[in-house]
Amino acid sequence: MRSSPADLVQPHRVHRTLYTDPDLFTDEMTRLFGGSWTFLAHESEVPRPNDYVRKRLGLRPVIVTRDRHGEIHALVNRCTHRGATVCRTDAGNAASFTCPYHGWTFANTGRLTGVPLPKAYGPGLDRGSLGLGRIRVESYRGFVFGTLNPDQAGLVDHLGPAAGVLDQWIDRAPGRTVHVRHGAHRMVYHGNWKLAYDNSADGYHPGFSHRSLLSMRQQRYGAGVDMQYVLADVDAGAQTVSDLGNGNTFLDQRGEIPEYWPQAAPSPGREAYEQQIRQKYGPDAGPFLEAAVGSGMNLNLFPNLLIIGNQIQVIEPLAIDRTQLTWYATSADGTPDEITAIRMRLQEDFPSFGEPDDLANFEECQTGLGVPEMEWVLTDRHLTTERETTGPDGVVTGPVSDELPIRAFWRRWVELMTADLKLAVS
Amino acid sequence: MTLLSDASGPEPATPSTYVDDAFYQLLRDDLVEWNAPGAVPDDRQPLETFLLHEAWLLDQGRYEDWFGLLTDDCLYWVPASPDPGDPQTSVTIACDDRRRLGDRIGWLRTAKAWAQIPPSRTSHLLGAPVEVPTAVAGERKLRSSVIVHETRPGTPPRALAGWCGHVLRTDDGALRIVRKIVVLTDADHGHRNLSFLL
Repeated sequence: MRSSPADLVQPHRVHRTLYTDPDLFTDEMTRLFGGSWTFLAHESEVPRPNDYVRKRLGLRPVIVTRDRHGEIHALVNRCTHRGATVCRTDAGNAASFTCPYHGWTFANTGRLTGVPLPKAYGPGLDRGSLGLGRIRVESYRGFVFGTLNPDQAGLVDHLGPAAGVLDQWIDRAPGRTVHVRHGAHRMVYHGNWKLAYDNSADGYHPGFSHRSLLSMRQQRYGAGVDMQYVLADVDAGAQTVSDLGNGNTFLDQRGEIPEYWPQAAPSPGREAYEQQIRQKYGPDAGPFLEAAVGSGMNLNLFPNLLIIGNQIQVIEPLAIDRTQLTWYATSADGTPDEITAIRMRLQEDFPSFGEPDDLANFEECQTGLGVPEMEWVLTDRHLTTERETTGPDGVVTGPVSDELPIRAFWRRWVELMTADLKLAVS
Repeated sequence: MTLLSDASGPEPATPSTYVDDAFYQLLRDDLVEWNAPGAVPDDRQPLETFLLHEAWLLDQGRYEDWFGLLTDDCLYWVPASPDPGDPQTSVTIACDDRRRLGDRIGWLRTAKAWAQIPPSRTSHLLGAPVEVPTAVAGERKLRSSVIVHETRPGTPPRALAGWCGHVLRTDDGALRIVRKIVVLTDADHGHRNLSFLL
């Protein structure tokens, strides 16, 4: 007898099969990735008219396009004739897509514009209804989200307090815009995708999971470099975690970072570029250098967008126990090229020396969660300590090792997995 | 490979000043030069001996000895795409100067890098190197095919293939690696646990 999703999520613990049940995974890929706003792409990935990128919405192949008028579209990459994908490259510039199988052609707005040998369809070919499946899209400050839920409230309403946190992240850039066109580093782990979201606002793990990175920094650079504040009693420190609503969560390290540049991890080019920046930019140099360093913010937008430091990490589930994490590098508008050069090298730091240890732990979780006789995963840190506070905007905030964000994720998970959803392309 | 608890690295971290605009231009120039037709060099014997020795040290986990083959102005570069692009404006899998390579080796030696406990076992298979011309005085460029076969417990063995480029210089009478690039055929694909040295 299969338990309902709600039975598997309790206030203080969740069931291991949430990470191991392939049927649940199949439902998640439609309900969570499409049932509400799901991150698809950043507008800077398609800067020019007729640019496109290939993405996924859950497991659905999708093309995100910018049409010749500049409007963004998200189209299901699936020919309406016999189901083949029509776009076979990851990025490019094209006003239309022609299916390699039978030559059906679609504009980059989705409209069906060409059918070879149409007489075989007689007079009844309704081209208007045979465009590529359209996904409802909205953008917030360059971040493109899509949903297949026609009843989903608008994006800004949905983001709620998370929009303000995203504003703070974007506005660190003097030009108040970030650019996502500096490549990506893709990592795969053999574990369920939710292990990554569990970790995304987990203030408990860094001192242990990232012990190797912290030891290396301590021994080579002494104290005070690159997040060594996680080695203390973190709940007595200045970091916090928050539930921003709708499964969106936030881990705020900024209270431990009085100044970004001096404590930044050493990276190739640091010395030469700092000197060059101070020589060239005078009083602007300080703020530029501050913007070069990771934000100290971990903002997580359910189900798949993790904003970490200065980077955008997208969770891409592949199978119940296989997940790809794509780390997109960013630059900040209104900062000189020297800052971009620093950012590129800095943004390789955590993916090299931090993330691999987390991924090893995720894989080992997947192994342990396969034991049928040990059913439960604890989610109860600070559930009873009464250390949470509620702000005027309704945001609940707790000490950084509070598993509040994990509990918030699961509440949203239950909501979407049990909702009466009628998903449809338009 | 011995796991120590010593994360201090093969040498202390010191200020690193050589990665600047001119250095990035050098890297862009490198990519142009790597693309030339190569020829098996007349003095292939000492060059191949050196490259095979480097591979041996990596495969034996002798990271400190490997570090000793590098120049003070060295670079270890693993692009995130088979078309490496411009490292000044794009992120990579690894783009380490000497100091960050020291960080990387220190990290591997902490006995707490969970991704490398136990350590990956590698076997580097190099194709015969060809030499491509270079405009940089004192440097020589050797390009070879490479397959790094890697095993870890609990996962099938894999072969990471591509080409590698070694920029060599003779310092104090000994061959040294100035810059090493490893361009994987699947550089832009998702990799599981690529935390070891290629």
